[in-house]
Amino acid sequence: MGTSSKAKRVKAFWFILPAAICMLFVHFIPILWGAYISLLDLDVYTLADWTSAPFVRLGNYIKLFSGKFPVGQRFLRSVYNVFIYGLVTIPVGYVIGLLVALLLNREFIGRTFVRGLILLPYITPDSVAYNVWRFIFQARIGLVNKILLKIGLIQEPIIWLVGKRALSAVIIASIWKGWPFACLILLAGLQGIPAELYEAAKIDGASAWQQFKMVTLPMLAPVSKTLLLLNVIWNFHAYNQFYILLGGSVGEAHVPSTFIMQEAFTNLHYGLGSAMSVVLVLIVILLISILLAKRRAGYES
Amino acid sequence: MKAKVQQQPQLKMDNLARKPVLTKEITLRILLYLGVFLVLLFVLVPYLWMVSGSFKTSLEIQAADVTRPDLAPRWIPRTFTLENYAKINKTVPMLDYFRNSMIISLGTMFFSIVISITAAYALSRFNFRGKTAVTFGVASTQLFPGIAFLIPYFILFTLINRYFGVQLRNTYPGMILTYTTFAIPFSILMLRNYLDTVPREIDEQAQIDGCSSIGALFRVIIPLSAPGIVAVGIYSFIMAWNEVLFASVLTGRATKTVAVGILEYITQQQARWSQMMAACIIISIPVLLLFTFMQRYIVEGIVSGATKG
Repeated sequence: MGTSSKAKRVKAFWFILPAAICMLFVHFIPILWGAYISLLDLDVYTLADWTSAPFVRLGNYIKLFSGKFPVGQRFLRSVYNVFIYGLVTIPVGYVIGLLVALLLNREFIGRTFVRGLILLPYITPDSVAYNVWRFIFQARIGLVNKILLKIGLIQEPIIWLVGKRALSAVIIASIWKGWPFACLILLAGLQGIPAELYEAAKIDGASAWQQFKMVTLPMLAPVSKTLLLLNVIWNFHAYNQFYILLGGSVGEAHVPSTFIMQEAFTNLHYGLGSAMSVVLVLIVILLISILLAKRRAGYES
Repeated sequence: MKAKVQQQPQLKMDNLARKPVLTKEITLRILLYLGVFLVLLFVLVPYLWMVSGSFKTSLEIQAADVTRPDLAPRWIPRTFTLENYAKINKTVPMLDYFRNSMIISLGTMFFSIVISITAAYALSRFNFRGKTAVTFGVASTQLFPGIAFLIPYFILFTLINRYFGVQLRNTYPGMILTYTTFAIPFSILMLRNYLDTVPREIDEQAQIDGCSSIGALFRVIIPLSAPGIVAVGIYSFIMAWNEVLFASVLTGRATKTVAVGILEYITQQQARWSQMMAACIIISIPVLLLFTFMQRYIVEGIVSGATKG
């Protein structure tokens, strides 16, 4: 028993080793090293001999939070933007996904085909989808302005991708791209609800709305919570939609990822960029811990 | 299935009020099809606009103006042209980027399958101390935003080149290593879930019959988990094909992928929308083909990976 379990442990170790080395090299060492770099004043001049980069302790963090430096204010603004972005895209994507899932859970001609088609936005590469939306949102040649002018909602073409409307444009395109995933997961959840529950509710005289409230929603709670968890994580990964749709000139609509990219790889402030990355990771970990704790509390009660 | 169940009580009520129930049923049907139509419209309009744009001449798009009815952009091209497809490689070396993407994505697919099947096998079949910790470690990688390790990773590449003389930036092996590692956490969890559904008795029997655990992996587990492996391979391919953030920093002329190469159609001087739309269609083809053929496996994999992982 003892030897066999030890032999098994050795074997398991060798089986996992390649994956572990990859993840150490790409994920864990850089994350920890990034936390260390965030304490250095590392830029393109000190990169050549990085060990001699000045150790500024929390200097980079002070720059971000003291409120005296424009770069800090702009970073906090980007954090604010990503929260707004998530507070709109996640609930709207969920509601559309749920409505369509309820629709697709009924039988109609061509259902399988439609179910495949609605996954298109989800599988289309980001760089294709957001470039097409960039084309659609163009002020002078775009589809959105063409339609809005035609139905008389606006008199002048709107500039979507620069300035104050940029965030809204990104939100619209992201909802279009994101809801099919919610729909896919919720549809799987709907198909897992036993038909007997609806029959029982009907015998009790529940209306369609009551059935939805008393049976469907509670039965979807577990998948919904998982979906929320994933969406919150992905929300803070947001980069492609902003970078591609706004064509690299993100301006007012910066989110942390695009702002850190600019600080690190355009302005070459690696130390400061790393400090912002650490803050971003901490925000994600904090939110996820809260969600997981709530979920655990939910299971226990 | 559910619809049939719901019809039964209504049939009983038919005797009481046949007509209202029937009209209600018909109205619901119409609303259902209307809803499906609206959903499809919402999904498909951007694609139709993309296809339409790809057949327009650059001149038509440049001259378009939404404020002037005679020049407003149209759904049907004024002059239909195939030039944007025929000259796909002219202004932007798209075919080179396509080749780079193919090499990097196929490499990622291969290594991701090999590395994650062995790890998933260990997590599914062996009991060892620290298993929970390993699983947690694998899952935790999905938490980090890419930007959080891009900066140190970039510096790591620079230093490896300086001290060991190995250039990883702008090379195929460097990109394949990067993307393989991006793909394996989700692949491991997805495959472990899959392997958990394959009865243990099958490979235990194989081991009793004289297979080593590696032999059991190759002769029994891999053939039985083919659908899971297909799903993981396609997921890895698509991930590498689509990735933007790391590609924009770590690739250069020699390895640029389609996902970042496509941005070159729009420059400060010129916006080549019609060519870009044609390129958008071309670079979507591999992803769409893979997905269409393997939809069932992928959807199962995504759903189980997302909800059980």
